[in-house]
Parts: sequence; structure tokens; C-alpha cells
Amino acid sequence: MLSRLVLVSGPALKNSGSFGACLVQASRSLHSSPQSQAPVPPLPEKGGKVRHGIFPEELFTLLYPKTGVTGPYMLGTGLLLYMLSKEIYVINHETFAAASIGAVIIYGVKKFGPSVASFADKLNEEKVAKAQEVKDIAVTSLAQAIEDEKKEQWRAEGRQMLFDAKRNNVAMLLETNYRERLHMVTSEVKKRLDYQIALQNLHRRMEQEHMVNWVEKNVIQSITPQQEKESIAKCIADLKVLAKATQAKATA
Amino acid sequence: MALNFFDQFMSPTYLGIPLIALALSLPWVLFPTPSSRWLNNRLLTLQGWFINRFTQQMLLPLNLGGHKWAVLLTSMMIFLVTLKMLGLLPYTFTPTTQLSLNMGFAVPLWLATVVIGLRNQPTVALGHLLPEGTPVVLIPFLIIVETFSLLIRPLALGVRLTANLTAGHLLIQLIATAAFVLLPMMPTVAILTATVLFLLTLLEVAVAMIQAYVFVLLLTLYLQENT
Repeated sequence: MLSRLVLVSGPALKNSGSFGACLVQASRSLHSSPQSQAPVPPLPEKGGKVRHGIFPEELFTLLYPKTGVTGPYMLGTGLLLYMLSKEIYVINHETFAAASIGAVIIYGVKKFGPSVASFADKLNEEKVAKAQEVKDIAVTSLAQAIEDEKKEQWRAEGRQMLFDAKRNNVAMLLETNYRERLHMVTSEVKKRLDYQIALQNLHRRMEQEHMVNWVEKNVIQSITPQQEKESIAKCIADLKVLAKATQAKATA
Repeated sequence: MALNFFDQFMSPTYLGIPLIALALSLPWVLFPTPSSRWLNNRLLTLQGWFINRFTQQMLLPLNLGGHKWAVLLTSMMIFLVTLKMLGLLPYTFTPTTQLSLNMGFAVPLWLATVVIGLRNQPTVALGHLLPEGTPVVLIPFLIIVETFSLLIRPLALGVRLTANLTAGHLLIQLIATAAFVLLPMMPTVAILTATVLFLLTLLEVAVAMIQAYVFVLLLTLYLQENT
């Protein structure tokens, strides 16, 4: 893990200011990786594998061909015992403090490690989800726009039928209007002709009446008083005869 | 060489070269630079999230003029927390146990808040010297008291940090020594003492973070008063 610290801090120091620039120039002969950054190499998904929390797996893989599975453990135990026996590392009160703080750290990592890791992953996932959502919304809105456009095209084709219907409508209106006007014209003409007929009838009747009146007047004028007396006497005689006849019929 | 409990607080030198510069600058290595990638690894994501949340929380009470102090306050908080947490490891040296360092932090920052307040709004800054609603009789006395409390703030800030850390470290050393010495004689008591040590370490972890936070928070308050 500490080796990773060095590896991490190397580029950090390299990037810092003028000191970094001198360092880069001086060590350019030692560079082995390509200098350009594009395309950006992908990040590894997970961190380096470690055993027991701090020892990188590469150590175990390194020692495996020579010493097998137990090699690194033997190395660790041997180193520890060597340092203790030669009193290179002296056990004193600091050891207790180290044990105590070590216990605290291990307890903290074991208990809160997974939740913190999942929290960090969740933060990243939320970031990705937001971008993905934007993309999805854009895709759905564009698909919807395509659908709407197709519908508009279909509607545009249907417009021909609309025009035909409207044309028919207009022709019908014109026809109706023409027939109305024709009807009006005929009725007007008929009215005028009726008037003329009534006028002629009136003329004839008036002439007739006038003639009848004239004939009557003349006839009455032509009746002399002598004739009048004779006709009245005749009428009385006729009446008497009639009365006798009727009486006779009544009694018989 | 007699073991002196205060040796851990001596500024470390190696062949005459003071190492405190290394002790102050190396913790910076633990925080990776934010990369130009859009999605980062967990450490960078968490670091960015923490800095964002902390800055947002800290800048809540401040108005716009105080926002210029955001970088300074956040970086100070992270610096102090890192120094303390690293100092809890065995055989390490915590620079913040040196009074000189803490006074070097506290005095300039406090003085800056006071000078800003006096330059921009002298009446309001001076008005802070007299709390509202004091009886007329007590006014002269209270002004002297408030001035004194204002002048003692940097001392309080620095000494609070130093004293808390020094006391904590000393306690850890003492109880660890007690447990160590008792182990061959009375193992049960040693185990009890070890339990106390464990709890104390938990406390120290908490104290480390809280003290850094308190330092920065108080500065925020002074800033808020004076902006």
C-alpha cells in the first residue's frame, strides 16, 4: 500500500509547478510510456488486490515460485522475530498504543468499510444515471418527434379528400342558390300574368254589367203606362186563376 | 537515556536538519489530485464529496464577502484533521502540538477578521464590544471585559488546539505505559487498562476531528461577525 503512495505521489510531484518541469526534463530519458494522453486509457474497475488489508497480492505472486504458499508468511514472521530478538524494534508502551490504535482502525474499516465503499459507488452511479437520463429523455423526445412527423405526413395526404368534400359542398350550394333564384323568377312572372288575366276578367264583367243595365233601362223606359195596366190586370187574372186552381187542389 | 514523556513533543531533527517541514508537507501526499476524468475512483469521489459538503456547511452562516475565505478554511480543516489523525499513529510527531504552529495559525487569521471588520464597517465592529441590553451602570466595565475577550481570542484558539492534543497524547502514553508495566505483574489489571486505552483512543480520534472543526468554526464565526 505504501508503494502505491509513492507511485501516486510521483505524478503529483511531477505536475507541480516549475520544480516539476525540471524533474520532467531531467528524467525524460527514463520515460517508457507514450507521452500523448489521447485516447485516454481506461481506468481499472477495481483497486489492486490486497491480502489482509495491506499486503499487495503481487508480493505473494512474486514469492510463490520459489517458496510456495507459506513463503510470504514465513518471511513476515521471520522479519518480525528478527527485529524483536535483536531489539531493533523494542516493545515499550508505544507498542500498546500502536495495538490500541490498530484495533480502532481495523474495527473502523471492518465496520464502515463496505458502507462507505457502496456510498462512493452510489455517488458515481448517480452521476452516470443523471447523464443517462438526459440521453434517454433526448432519445424518447426525438422518437416522439419522428412519430408526430409521420402522422403529419399522413394528415397531409388526407387533405385531398378534404378538398374534394369541400368542392362538392360548394357546388351544392351554388346549385341550391340557382334553383332558388329560378323559382323566384317563375313566381314573379306568374304573378304578373295573373294580374293581366284578372284585369281582362274585370273588363269583361264590367262591360257585361253595363250592357245589362242599359238593356234594362231601355226596356223599362219602353214600357208605356197602357201596357203597364194591361200587364197588371193580366197578372191579377192569372193570380185568381192560380188561386182557384190551388184551392181546388187543396180541397181535392 | 531516561524516557521523558515530553520527548514525543520535541521538534524532530535528524543530523541537525529539522524535519518539521517534512512532517507538515508530507500529509499532502495522501490526498490524490482530482483527475480530469468524469468518473473517478472511490477515494477521489469521497474526497470531492466531503470537500463539497464541508464547504457548503461552513459557508452557510457567511455572507458573500466571507465566501472568499472558503478555500482557506476548508484546506485548514483538512490539514488539521490529517495532521492529528496521523499523529495518533505510534512513533509519529504531531506538528499541532507545538504552540508556535498553532499561534502561527490563530493570530494572523484572527487579526485578519478583526482588521476586515474595522476597515469595512468600523461602527458595527466596535458595536460588538457592547452586548445589547446592558444596564447603563455596567457599560464602562463591560467594554473593558469585551475588549479583553476580543484580544484573548487568538490565544484561546491556539492554546485550545495545543492543549487538547498535548493532553490527549500524554494520556495515551501514560496509560499505555501503565498497561505495559502492569502486564507481567497483574495481567487482569493490565487488560482493564488496555480496555481504557482502547476507549481513550476512540476518544482521541473524535477529539482530533472535533478540535479541528472547532478551530475552523470559530474562525467562521469571527468572520461572520466582521464581514
